[in-house]
Amino acid sequence: MIAGGVRVLNVGLPAVVEGVAPADVLQLDWRPPAFGDAEAARLALALDDDVTQGANRRALAAVHAARPQLVGVRPAREVVPGTGDGRVLLHAGPPIAWERMCGPVRGALVGAVLLEGWAATSQEARDLLAGGGVVLDPCHHHGVVGPMAGVLSPSMPVLVVEDGDRRAFASLNEGLGRVLRFGAFDTDVLDRLRWMRDVLAPVLDAALGEEGPVDVTSLLAQALTMGDEGHNRSVAATALLTRRLAPAVAQQEQGVPALRFLAGNDHFALNLSMAGAKLAMDAAVGTEHSTLVTAMARNGVEFGLRVAGTGDRWFTAPVGAADGLFFPGYDRADANPDLGDSAITETLGIGGFAMAAAPAITAFVGGTPDDALETTLSMRRITTGPHPALRLASLGFAGAPSGIDVLKVLDTGVLPVINTGIAHREAGVGQIGAGIVEAPPAVFLQAVRALHAARSR
Amino acid sequence: MTPAATQTLAARVFPRLYRDSVTLMSLAAALERRAGVTRAGVVMGTPGNLAILERSAMRPPDVAPAPDDLVVVVRGADEATVSAALEAAAAGLDAVVQDSGPRRERAPQTVTEGLTVDPALTLAVVSTPGPYAPVVVEQALRAGLHVLCFSDNVQTADEVRLKDLAAQRGLLLMGPDCGTAILDGVPLGFANAVRRGPVGIVAASGTGAQEVACLLHRAGTGVSQLVGVGGRDLSTAVGGTMTHLALDLLGADDATDVVVVVSKPPAAEVARRLLARLATLGKPAVACLLGEGDTDGPVPLRGTLEGGARAAAALVGAVLDLEPVALPSATPTGGVLGLYTGGTLAAEARVVLRRAGVPAQVLDLGDDEYTVGRPHPMIDPAGRAAAVVAAGDRPDVGVLLVDLVLGHGAAADPTTPLAEAAAAAVRAARSGGRELVVLASVCGTDGDPQGLASARRTLVQAGVVVHPSNAAAARAAVAVLCRSGRTA
Repeated sequence: MIAGGVRVLNVGLPAVVEGVAPADVLQLDWRPPAFGDAEAARLALALDDDVTQGANRRALAAVHAARPQLVGVRPAREVVPGTGDGRVLLHAGPPIAWERMCGPVRGALVGAVLLEGWAATSQEARDLLAGGGVVLDPCHHHGVVGPMAGVLSPSMPVLVVEDGDRRAFASLNEGLGRVLRFGAFDTDVLDRLRWMRDVLAPVLDAALGEEGPVDVTSLLAQALTMGDEGHNRSVAATALLTRRLAPAVAQQEQGVPALRFLAGNDHFALNLSMAGAKLAMDAAVGTEHSTLVTAMARNGVEFGLRVAGTGDRWFTAPVGAADGLFFPGYDRADANPDLGDSAITETLGIGGFAMAAAPAITAFVGGTPDDALETTLSMRRITTGPHPALRLASLGFAGAPSGIDVLKVLDTGVLPVINTGIAHREAGVGQIGAGIVEAPPAVFLQAVRALHAARSR
Repeated sequence: MTPAATQTLAARVFPRLYRDSVTLMSLAAALERRAGVTRAGVVMGTPGNLAILERSAMRPPDVAPAPDDLVVVVRGADEATVSAALEAAAAGLDAVVQDSGPRRERAPQTVTEGLTVDPALTLAVVSTPGPYAPVVVEQALRAGLHVLCFSDNVQTADEVRLKDLAAQRGLLLMGPDCGTAILDGVPLGFANAVRRGPVGIVAASGTGAQEVACLLHRAGTGVSQLVGVGGRDLSTAVGGTMTHLALDLLGADDATDVVVVVSKPPAAEVARRLLARLATLGKPAVACLLGEGDTDGPVPLRGTLEGGARAAAALVGAVLDLEPVALPSATPTGGVLGLYTGGTLAAEARVVLRRAGVPAQVLDLGDDEYTVGRPHPMIDPAGRAAAVVAAGDRPDVGVLLVDLVLGHGAAADPTTPLAEAAAAAVRAARSGGRELVVLASVCGTDGDPQGLASARRTLVQAGVVVHPSNAAAARAAVAVLCRSGRTA
């Protein structure tokens, strides 16, 4: 009577099918969907239809069709929309008022005010910021992404990445130690930022004029086969970028200091992979009915999620500190809650999603290459499809798991794994470790309710 | 915590040993997990790292490594703790990283993932907590699977919606709250090892279907299919959607010659449609609707499970011949108490007692009100056994009527607890100067894992009078009371 014979998918108690031949039973390791929120699970199921799947296919195709090109390094005020006039500072993550900001972001904003000369002392800068004298806005609202505090001021240079008439931007990476993105703003930090603004940026811009544009996707694809994952490890991408630009950089008056800076900063290309990922993900923004995640970002207090079908809306929830390994003398109690726009890399499908590419940093996910592979395979369970260009050798050159689907996150209960640096909770102490953090379930639960409401209208 | 000043700080330098920073941090984390260790640092001896150690008061004054030396620093409760930790660090740095072995095979966790692993699956069995069951059931139906939904606590509105969805796709949705099915000879949930044969059963009742199936087996015939539909299928709200689909399938099933529908009496309109459908099925059919009068029309109607089984057996040329059991000699003074694990068996007992005009209290101990926070008594016999023991102290109880359900899904040994409880109850009554008769039937077959013959023997040895059917046991209760002159 049952066509194909009785072959059982058992969802629940094994005893219920004890009378069935074991060869005819597949036992699920089932767990409650939608993090136990039965109502959200229903909404997710209601949305899981041809309309949504078609929208997701279109959204991901647009993401994968993007070919970001690094074309220049320009002052933010010249190229970043909305930063040309008045006192505007950008920060990482979803919107947040000064009063609620964490130590490192406040420190970085103070440093940026001092750099711009809007205040003479740090106290004056604080007063200015607390008094509303500066417009504070998320990077993401301006096509920008910034790691950690992600603070960008109008005179700071940005990497300019473009694809046709679309653009995205990222700040320049300062290196490790006492740096603005961890909230430090002492003289050394500001001097370095001035040098990057006045020397490094023009040198790189000129070099790009000669040697550019640089195809970011190709560069990342190559780096993934060289042990990078595009987020916590950018050694290969930095080396590839430096090599590409070196002939043109070396010819310039300040070329050698510029090359020395690139040689001493393993993370320089992180900001490039972020800008490329931002440009790619922006291609999906606003795809009607799509449940694809277009941005994940943290401001040190809250985690923010954006989804293609709900456009510019943020879904936010409190964010915890990363689970990680700490530099000597520090531990989890010192850690700031997770911070930065860099999770845009995971949104595209690299970073934590491409752990399988980076054996050198597998200790963050358990210690062995198999653990790294496991992480990438579990991210496959929540993504829409493989990235056609960003491939992973250890998975037989399959594409990196790309395009997080809110519905799959709810169905599987698997949360996106994000590689991240860990900032000290006090401004200016700097990086104290690195590790992984999972996106909070609440943002996905909010998102499915909003997506369902949008479909019902 | 011990103040830092009274703690021991010690370091060990490993000259010209390089390990990557992630390995170093992992090792430091492992050292910090050791009892008595408050802080540990494992770093390459670069100036930057030494400055960090300095700042966090973790650099012993005499330690001056070169940048390519590896330094381990441990702060801990005492010298012994610290030196043990340093030894462990040395061992950790020396250890050859072993291959981590074969990759873990992760079991699939969702319906979609299960079907990716095995696309040939045909039926989902769902026993998740009720609030999630509609989601899982819908996922399975959308994927083209028949579903047996064992879960209860599913809203009627969901049942209606999901059964409509299933029917549109020609898929069975057995349940919610369906405990029993036998499909193409494969038992699911609570099901007995019955012979395959020509009778197809559609049941809105679990133990009712088991009893009918076992009695058909007893009659020498067997069951082609047993399709459970859930207790609410023939309610007005659901309207018999699955009963009708199951009848369509049985009508087309070559293995099925005769059909029996087992249910509590449905609402009048639903019953009318059911009987009309059975009359035009093209195969002989019996409607076994508990508590209805026994009538012979185009479709024989029977109000007991035994009557339904007997009528169905007759339609395939078999005879349900139940051997008579001698009445016990006792003449108890108390009334009838039924303590049941099977809900439909309890209902059938009530029908038999009511038809005879015998007032009785018959409890279904599998009902929700008795199972809060504990397993169903068919799975865990302890609760019913306790109730049986307690009945021995009740002067108002002279006849105890019980069921015993064997088969897949039931407890591995449901018999011993019942036998011991019955013996204890009889002893208790006797010591109170009363007589107590315990009457039972065993719902099972000789092929069931628990063994029918040994179950009956165990009960008989405990002084229980074992009848060949539940209805027969209930009739015996009536007879014992009649003899005692206690019937109305």
